[in-house]
Amino acid sequence: MADDDLDLNSLNDDDLVSQMHDDLYDGLKEEIEQAVNILLARGWTPYDVLTQALVEGMRIVGEDFRDGILFVPEVLLSANAMKAGMAILRPLLAETGAPKVGKMIIGTVKGDIHDIGKNLVAMMMEGAGFEVINLGINNAVDNFLKAIDEHQPDIIGMSALLTTTMPYMKVVIDTLKEKGIRSDFIVLVGGAPLNEAFANAIGADAYCRDAAVAVETAKRLMADRQGSVQARAQA
Amino acid sequence: MSDAETLQSGRRGHGRAAKRAARMAHAAATVPFITRQIPIYEVLNEEGLSLIEQNAETVLEEVGIDFKGDPEALAIWREAGADVREERVHIPRGLCRRIIREHAPATYTQHARNPARSVVMGGKHTVFAPAYGPPFVHDLDRGRRYGTIEDFRNFVKLTYATPWLHHSGGTVCEPVDLPVNKRHLDMVYAHMRYSDKPFMGSVTAPERAADTVAMAEILFGADWIDPATGKPRTVVTSLINANSPLTWDATMLGALKVYARANQANLLTPFILAGAMAPVTVAGSTTLTLAEAMAGVAFTQLVAPSAPVILGSFASSMSMKSGAPTFGTPEPAMVMYAMAALARRLNVPFRAGGAFTASKIPDAQAAYESALTMLPACLAGTNFILHTAGWLEGGLAMGYEKFVMDADQAGMLQTMLNGIDLSENGQAMDAIREVGPGKHFLGCGHTQANFESAFHGSAIADNNSFEQWDAEGRLDQAQRANAQWKRMLQDYEPPPIDPATDDALLDFMARRKAATPDSNV
Repeated sequence: MADDDLDLNSLNDDDLVSQMHDDLYDGLKEEIEQAVNILLARGWTPYDVLTQALVEGMRIVGEDFRDGILFVPEVLLSANAMKAGMAILRPLLAETGAPKVGKMIIGTVKGDIHDIGKNLVAMMMEGAGFEVINLGINNAVDNFLKAIDEHQPDIIGMSALLTTTMPYMKVVIDTLKEKGIRSDFIVLVGGAPLNEAFANAIGADAYCRDAAVAVETAKRLMADRQGSVQARAQA
Repeated sequence: MSDAETLQSGRRGHGRAAKRAARMAHAAATVPFITRQIPIYEVLNEEGLSLIEQNAETVLEEVGIDFKGDPEALAIWREAGADVREERVHIPRGLCRRIIREHAPATYTQHARNPARSVVMGGKHTVFAPAYGPPFVHDLDRGRRYGTIEDFRNFVKLTYATPWLHHSGGTVCEPVDLPVNKRHLDMVYAHMRYSDKPFMGSVTAPERAADTVAMAEILFGADWIDPATGKPRTVVTSLINANSPLTWDATMLGALKVYARANQANLLTPFILAGAMAPVTVAGSTTLTLAEAMAGVAFTQLVAPSAPVILGSFASSMSMKSGAPTFGTPEPAMVMYAMAALARRLNVPFRAGGAFTASKIPDAQAAYESALTMLPACLAGTNFILHTAGWLEGGLAMGYEKFVMDADQAGMLQTMLNGIDLSENGQAMDAIREVGPGKHFLGCGHTQANFESAFHGSAIADNNSFEQWDAEGRLDQAQRANAQWKRMLQDYEPPPIDPATDDALLDFMARRKAATPDSNV
C-alpha cells in the first residue's frame, strides 16, 4: 500500500493540498517542506499556502488529538512538520505584509526548573503557526524583559509547576505594569497548580489548562487584537 | 479505505481515515487468555498447607460428607472404598487425593466455536468471565429490576465486545421473564449465537444439562468429536456448587454426571459464607472448602476418569451483627491464597475471585471491595475468575455500569499479570541514550515506536484537567460507564454463524419447548 515514490509534483493543486493535510497528520516534515515549495513555485501566495494547506491540516490534527485518536508523540511530529513549513513561509509572509499568526516568548518562572509541560505548549504553538522563542527554565523578570526587547512578541507565556514559584508570575506582570507596557502583550499563564481565579488575580489575560487550550486561547486573543490569520481563514 | 482513496492519499502514512481505522482495530486486538509472567503470592508455608490438608482428610473420614438424593452416587462411592452410612459418605484418608492426582487433568482446553477464542484452563493461565447468577439487573437509568432475556443477551453482547473478558460466562443474569423449565434453552442459545467465546451450560436439572450438551453437539457439528481421542471435545464448563456445609445435592450431582460423561468440564465450588456455612476462621473455612471440593472433584473422576474439572472456592465473610454476607474483606482473600496453593498441590485448575461487593450501586464501596477481591485472586494464581465483571449486591444484581468498570479493571490486571518486558526494546537503553539529561522522551525514536501500546489506557477513567472535566459536565465514573455500555451495545455486531447451524439450533429449541408445557417449577 505504501508508495514511497509518489511524486508531489505530479499532483494537481487540490490533490497536493489534501496530500499535505495527510502528510501533516502523519508528521512528514520533508514532504511538507517540499510541498510548500511546490505551491510557492506554482505562484501561490505564502498566505494561501499557510491558511489552506498548513493551518487547515493542523486543524484536523487538533480535532483528532482532542477526540483521543492521535497521541501526544504523534502530534509532536505533526507540529514539527508544521514548524518546518512555517520556517519557509515566515520571511515571505513578512515581505508580503500578510497578517501574522503571532510571536510568543515562553518560559518557566524564576525558582522553577520544570521544563516539559512548557515545551509541549511551545511545540503546539509552533504547530499552529506561531513563532515561539523558548526561554527555558528559571527565568527572572529581567530575562523576560530582555526577550521582549529583542523579539517584540505578541504573547508572553509563563509556566510554573510549584505553588511556591507560581506567585513569581505576578512579579513579572507587575513589572510590565510599572513600565507601562502590560497592555502591549497578551499574557498567558499555565501549570498544574494554577486555575482561572489565580490568573485573574495576578492580572494575566488567561489561564490555559493544557497545550491545546493554550493554542485556542492564543488564536482567539490574537484575533481580538488584530485581524489575524486564523480569524481571516475562518471568516 | 477504498482503493480509490488509497491511491489518492496513500504513500508513507495514510492520513486521518487510515489512522482512525487503525486505532479502532487496535482497540479490538486481544489475547484469548492470560499467561501469567509474574510469581504467585503464597501466604502459607509447607507446614501450614499440610496442616490444612490433614484436617480436611480428617473431616472427610471422621465427619463425612452428604451426597443427597442420588443413590447412584452413593453406589459409586461404596465401590471406590468409602464407608457410606445412609447418605453420608465417610471417605478414607488420602482416597480423594489419590483419585484426583491419578485421573484429573492438570489443564484442559475449552474450545470456542471460534478456535481463536478457545481457552486453556489451568497451569500458568488465567481466564476472566462475567458475573454469574444475579436475578436482578441494575443501571443508572432504570434502577434495579428483575433480569429479562433481553438483559441476558445484552450482557452476552457486552462480554463479547470487551477485549478483557475471555469467556462468555453462564447465567449472566437470570431471565426471570421466561418459564423456569425452558429458559435454559434461550440462555445457552444466546451464548452460542451472540458470542463466539467459550461459555457455561445449564445445571439446574440433569435434562437441562443434557439439552446443553445436545445444543453444543449441533453447534460444533463435525468438530464435536476429537478424532484423536474418540471423545467429544470439551466445549462447555459448568458450575456445580456444593450446598455447604458438607453437602452435594441431587440437582448438582445430576448435572455433573451428564457433563462428565460427555467429557464436558465441571467446576466444583463450595459456596461458603463463613459464619453460616463454615467456621468464622480462615483456617476453618479453608479446611471445609478443601474437604468439600476434593470430594466433588474426586467424584467427577469416579464418574468419568480424566473428565476435565476445576476446583473452585467461593469464600465470603459475614456480618456477625446482621448476618449479611460481606465482600472485599481481608479474610476471604486469605482463603483464596490458601486454596489456590492447595489446588496446585492437587495439580488441578483453580477457580476463585471476582469483582465482589455488597454495594447496591457502582460507587466507591463497590470499587474498593471489587479491587480487593480481584487483586488477590490474580496474585494467588487463580486460573478461572468467574464474576470478573458486573457483580453488585452480593450477587443479587448484575450492573451495566459496574460491568464496564470491572471490565476496565480486568484489562489493567491482565497487563499486570503479563509482567515486565526485559527484551532489548523493553530495556529502552536507546531511548535513554538518545534523550540524555534535561530533555523529554515524548519525541524520541523509542517512544515514537512504542507509545501506542505503552500503557494500559482506561476507557472510562477521567484524567483531564479540572476545567475540562467541569466543562464536560462533571461526570463521575458510573456516568461515564453508562455512556460506554450504551456505545458498546450500539456498535455491537454479532459474530457470523453458519445459517444451517443456526436453523438446527432453533429447530432443536422449538421441539424441546413444544414437548412440555411451560412451568415455573
